[in-house]
Amino acid sequence: MKTTPIILSLSLLILSGTALADDDCDDPVASWQPRENLREKLEAEGWTVRRIKVDDGCYEVKGRDSNGVKVEASFAPASLMMMEWEREDEDDDDDRDHSKRPLNSGPTNANTSLPNNGIVKGRPTVTVE
Amino acid sequence: MKKFVLAFSLFSAFALPAIAQAREVIFTTELQNYGGDGAYLALYLTNAAGEYHGTLWVSGEKPKYYKHLGDWARGSRLDPAEYDGLTGASVTGGRTLKVTLNLDDSLIDSGYEVRVDSAVEDMRDVRADVAAPLTTEGSGKPVSGRGYVRSLTYELQ
Repeated sequence: MKTTPIILSLSLLILSGTALADDDCDDPVASWQPRENLREKLEAEGWTVRRIKVDDGCYEVKGRDSNGVKVEASFAPASLMMMEWEREDEDDDDDRDHSKRPLNSGPTNANTSLPNNGIVKGRPTVTVE
Repeated sequence: MKKFVLAFSLFSAFALPAIAQAREVIFTTELQNYGGDGAYLALYLTNAAGEYHGTLWVSGEKPKYYKHLGDWARGSRLDPAEYDGLTGASVTGGRTLKVTLNLDDSLIDSGYEVRVDSAVEDMRDVRADVAAPLTTEGSGKPVSGRGYVRSLTYELQ
């Protein structure tokens, strides 16, 4: 008799937990743009699109971005806004060395390329104390 | 000789104003002792309308987590050209990140704001953890954060 509300509550809790944990795209299907629109948009920005598929409600694009970097990126199907971007040759192996990386205690720059966003002039000097 | 004068004049006309326009700014971001993994931080500028203007620095090396730096991610569209050469390791609680860089003088006292978005794994994401108008008057004055950031201070050199 008393177990029904408990089961119901637990079910709702589990369902709501699933919904909260899901941070993928949730655009209603009726508002989706055709994937060709995304392809045209990206190619106009200098991308080379190899494949577009639907994954977890997002358009998942594999190809090379405007800098020639091999990437896998997710886009919201309605707005075509980028949701996630990842270098394709970076796999989960780097999750493991996340904790291994020593904290910066002196001047550092993680990558060697010079900034080119038109805001920062030259290479910044960065320390963590 | 004439060529030298001409070259010097051209250098003076174009290069010197460009040098004079760049200004060194030190951004110091002190984190709270929040007791979690290293924080991902995005330091960026917004214009007078509150719209994203440009990236100053991103702490955290894995672009796949950058979407958690919500306002910055939306503004920059996570375009790698926006942050190439401007990324480094995440910053753990209690530590202080100090970024020294050269900015165009025209960005100061013109309605631009420095903002920091922050995120920590398995903890909540904080958009505009701290926001400080980029002004001569605000130089050297700490601004308190509302999330993982204890304070942000910038110093115009």
